[in-house]
Amino acid sequence: MNVLEVLGAVLLLFGTALSVLAAWGLIDFPSALARMHAATKSASLGLSLIVLGAAVAAGSWELLGIAALVTAFLFMTAPISGHMVGRATYLAGRVDNLVFDDLADSKPSPLVIRNNAQGGWSHTRVVGMILVWMLLWRDVSPGTLLGGAVVACSIELLRRAPVARNSIRLGGLATFAVRYMWLVFSSNARVAWEVVTPSNELIREAIVAVRLNTRQPSVALLVANAISYTPGSLTIELTGDPLVLYVHVLHFDSVAQVERDVRELEELAQRVFRDPAMTGT
Amino acid sequence: MDAVVTVAQLALGAAALFALARAARGPTLADRIIALDLVLLLLAGGVAAHGARTDTELFVPLLIVVALVAFTGTLIVARFIEWRDSK
Repeated sequence: MNVLEVLGAVLLLFGTALSVLAAWGLIDFPSALARMHAATKSASLGLSLIVLGAAVAAGSWELLGIAALVTAFLFMTAPISGHMVGRATYLAGRVDNLVFDDLADSKPSPLVIRNNAQGGWSHTRVVGMILVWMLLWRDVSPGTLLGGAVVACSIELLRRAPVARNSIRLGGLATFAVRYMWLVFSSNARVAWEVVTPSNELIREAIVAVRLNTRQPSVALLVANAISYTPGSLTIELTGDPLVLYVHVLHFDSVAQVERDVRELEELAQRVFRDPAMTGT
Repeated sequence: MDAVVTVAQLALGAAALFALARAARGPTLADRIIALDLVLLLLAGGVAAHGARTDTELFVPLLIVVALVAFTGTLIVARFIEWRDSK
């Protein structure tokens, strides 16, 4: 076994361990929302690590690209499904063991994102889609390029959904990724510990409303997703004008603590996107 | 590598049994769908681990399909829960 295989094996076993802990958390945790914390997030990170391990063991750049794609996909989808199931569970009145609940006595107005996007053709997005297409086919021949171009241009032309027009700062994105990765691993470790130890006395569930400083939907979306991908916190509801996040936390300490954590993420997220109001100044 | 993959796949199989136990027991529909979502993620993990052993890249399309189905399936059931309870 060479170095790459050993590293791949370690990643594989680490990912497997996270997945098994996620499944055990599903058995062990006391309430539906708490179980969601254990299951959806840790297992997504576990799957990412397993695919990464397979790519490293094979020593293949292509597979590494696929692993990055799978990780990015899971970072986008796992929080959404966690949030939607969590929200449905809350609205169904299946949540009754909260020590603190900001959502109980407020009727949140639904978030309406104004379509200030006006569509708009983006070369960057089209090139990005073509690259993903070629990565998925694992082929760089002209035919694949042409097929990818047709699909990407069709999507860009036919797309109806508004897309925020903020451009992304690469430096801010890198800072966010590094700081956020640390947060994800430390909170995964905390929830894993909770799963391994038989008593669940540290679990104090609460829903806290946190008002965001930003007015940008992109920043709010990134913060909401980042919160939901981290085990131990889940975005239950997001309301607009002003933007307020309702966060379900597994280990409630104080409202100020939750606010501090969300603000920290928000500040990092604000550095990822350029404010459209500020551009041109 | 072979031994590592076998251990990983056995562990993932055991994890899938835990998840199925939760899916059978419930008590809420949300518990069941989250558990089944987890089963699909574990399946994808097992398939990827198999790819590490055989050095084939055939598992990649399967991985992507499983991840997509898990996501859309969970979303649809979440919508269903909201719709059912709003009636």
